[in-house]
Amino acid sequence: MAKNPSEPRVSALGRVGAWVATPQLRVRLGIRAVLVFAVLLFIYYVSTAPRFFSVTNATNLGARTAPDIILAVGQTMVIIQAGIDLSVGAVLAFSGSLASVAYCYWGLPVWPAMLLGLAAGALLGFINGLIITKGRIPDFIATLGMMVTARGVALILTGGLPVPSHLTAITLKAYLPQEIIWLGSGDILGFPTGALIALLIVAAGWVILMHTGFGRALFAVGGNREAARVSGINVDRTKIMTYTLMGLLAALAGLVLVGRMNSANALMGDGTELQSIAAVVIGGTNLFGGEGGVIGSLLGALIMGILRNVLNLHNMQDFAQRVVMGLLIIGVVLFDQLRRRYGA
Amino acid sequence: MSSSLILRAEAIDKSYPGVHALDHVDFDLYEGEVHALLGENGAGKSTFMKILSGSLPKDSGRIFLRGQEVDIVGPYHARELGIGMVYQELSVIPGLSVAENIFLGRLPKRKPLGTVDWSEAMSQAKRILDDLGVDVDPRERVGNLSMGEQQLTEIAKALSMKAQILLLDEPSSALSDEERERLFSIMRGLQERGVAIIYVSHRLVEVPQIGQRVTVLRDGAKVGTLPVDQADEATLIRMMVGRELREKFPKDEIQRGKEILRIQGLTVRGVLNNLNLNLYEGEILGIFGVLGAGRTDFARALFGVDPIDSGEVFLNGRKINISCPSDAIELGLGYLTEDRKDGLILRLTIPANITLASLKRISRLGFLNQGEERATAEKYVKELDIHTPKLDQKVEFLSGGNQQKVALAKWLCSRAKVLIFDEPTRGIDVGAKIEVFRLMNDLAKQGVGIIMLSSELPEVLAMADRILVMAGGSFTAEYARGQASQEDLMRDAVVK
Repeated sequence: MAKNPSEPRVSALGRVGAWVATPQLRVRLGIRAVLVFAVLLFIYYVSTAPRFFSVTNATNLGARTAPDIILAVGQTMVIIQAGIDLSVGAVLAFSGSLASVAYCYWGLPVWPAMLLGLAAGALLGFINGLIITKGRIPDFIATLGMMVTARGVALILTGGLPVPSHLTAITLKAYLPQEIIWLGSGDILGFPTGALIALLIVAAGWVILMHTGFGRALFAVGGNREAARVSGINVDRTKIMTYTLMGLLAALAGLVLVGRMNSANALMGDGTELQSIAAVVIGGTNLFGGEGGVIGSLLGALIMGILRNVLNLHNMQDFAQRVVMGLLIIGVVLFDQLRRRYGA
Repeated sequence: MSSSLILRAEAIDKSYPGVHALDHVDFDLYEGEVHALLGENGAGKSTFMKILSGSLPKDSGRIFLRGQEVDIVGPYHARELGIGMVYQELSVIPGLSVAENIFLGRLPKRKPLGTVDWSEAMSQAKRILDDLGVDVDPRERVGNLSMGEQQLTEIAKALSMKAQILLLDEPSSALSDEERERLFSIMRGLQERGVAIIYVSHRLVEVPQIGQRVTVLRDGAKVGTLPVDQADEATLIRMMVGRELREKFPKDEIQRGKEILRIQGLTVRGVLNNLNLNLYEGEILGIFGVLGAGRTDFARALFGVDPIDSGEVFLNGRKINISCPSDAIELGLGYLTEDRKDGLILRLTIPANITLASLKRISRLGFLNQGEERATAEKYVKELDIHTPKLDQKVEFLSGGNQQKVALAKWLCSRAKVLIFDEPTRGIDVGAKIEVFRLMNDLAKQGVGIIMLSSELPEVLAMADRILVMAGGSFTAEYARGQASQEDLMRDAVVK
């Protein structure tokens, strides 16, 4: 069993490493080049967009992206604990519609009406959590079901008509109150209220994730559910709380959106569930849980919002914009994957 | 031996970081031979099989097939060379039919569209199964078959690729007596056709029934190869465990205190049978058992991870009810899992992992006191000598030994008074092992009661004040410190 001293002991891994070293470097450089190109392109389009750097546009941009940012914060928490919520758009529509219907048709005072909307959103989120944990149904399926159901309930509630509307059998008691309109279209010292609320939610989300036991539990559950359980974390309760919070935030986003449009309807927020997921993923949160944060999601939502805004200013038609947004999502995540794989 | 040499392995060497898994192992195999491969857990059997089947690269050494040197580059290559492997964990796909599993990825096609030729697939599968003497419908879903029949499906799959060498890694561990008999008769049939078989098993009694020769590995090195008529059970056990205790076991004598934990009649139907034990302050209670004895099931049941069917647990004489791990933690229990990755959140930092079981204590109104968290973590990093470039390091970037220390720190932080260590030294190097043993001593001195579940004979013998032997979900023997030999424990641990 004598070892041959002249034979160099190169491990197989070492040989593989040597073999890919050069191409890997090439890929790494390539990734950086494309990234720089993309950023330059983005800057070019932003800087050449007519009226991008105007106060009106900035205000408009802030107000428009506010609901997206609020949803993205909730979705970040859901995704960090290794879940996903497809129902946020529908919950947004239902809650916004409910609050509006309660005020305009049922004659509820403004604050109870808004609280009713928020509570309804939280309740739907709570139900999501309950179905997922106690019913042991995958997050995707449970929230998909909720997405369809909540949208249906919202349609029943509004009769498929905008709120407020004169076409309903019920007599209209009031138009939307100033308080709700202020949420979406008002301002505080010149800053759009919605945007300020969104930033407040981002800050709250950051505090929850980084400075509370609940936030820590989210990372633990998403990083390794079994290990979290063995470490004494109540996984079910953590999940239910997360989805409840998500529902509450969806309802808040709904109120802001109603305020901006000065009208509610059961079909609003269609597609925002996927947009919020895209913002979270673009922001660098791991779609399989355990890693991420709300600051990234804020940036993700802003990038998408700015891009949409810039394309609008460039007069690109909506159909083509969809193509660009889709490619953006794939592109960003693809870059992230390549970057991780090749360490660029 | 009259038949010809089919496989020869020369000085196969393989190291993992911190572990010399195979130390220049020589091995040969003749046509039509069943060659048994024995050894304790971690002796290197599975590593050796994986190298032969191409799923692991060797560091050095040479492999000859029929006298010709080959460099096996991957599982596909091994199959082309006529080496078929049946893994310990089945790799059949339960939702597919027997025939589909046998021809997975190679189903016969019908021209011109390349659609699957089902009648051909079924008849070919039928022929292979008939050849094996297996009475299974090739159309049957594999999920509907018994464990034994699934195993035979895997063997049929290996043979369908014209395997001349069959590697069986503990095929009998999940089989009933009847199924095992059938497997043996099939193996004999294959032998007559010249197929050579390497057979890994924990059941010593099987060796003379089926093998011609037996090779024993220990700590990655070959102890010897014997013809089976010279390999009685006592000889094999001695070869398997007869190492000198080169590793240091720094066991201190500690006066045990009052009873801290008592378990009466703990039962999980079909898994754990009426387990009774008591544990005293400052005591290290060793529970020895081989793979599948139910050690981990016991730990999980006690800690509330899995539900129990019956049984009572008393802590300091008071009856307690543990229905989930957080109950257990609240009561002062801690559980170091067998696989560190089941107990750690790898993507979180050292402080986050250490305080994970004590979140309530370091929080005020739900807000983490991060100053206290860091200070706590810093204290344990120092006390346990956790090597890390920075305190906020993610645990996934630590070595195995340091990860184990973080896992232990978590339970120190939660102030556990009863600690369950499941294979505390699995996969960590000798230096870290000694440190873990020292920590066990220190804890015992502070009055912590320790249950140490292990399949490593030397460490149980050296570290435990008392040893329970576990087999088939029951405790089969109890020894006081110094009363048992390695052979005793092995005998009691082998399922009769």
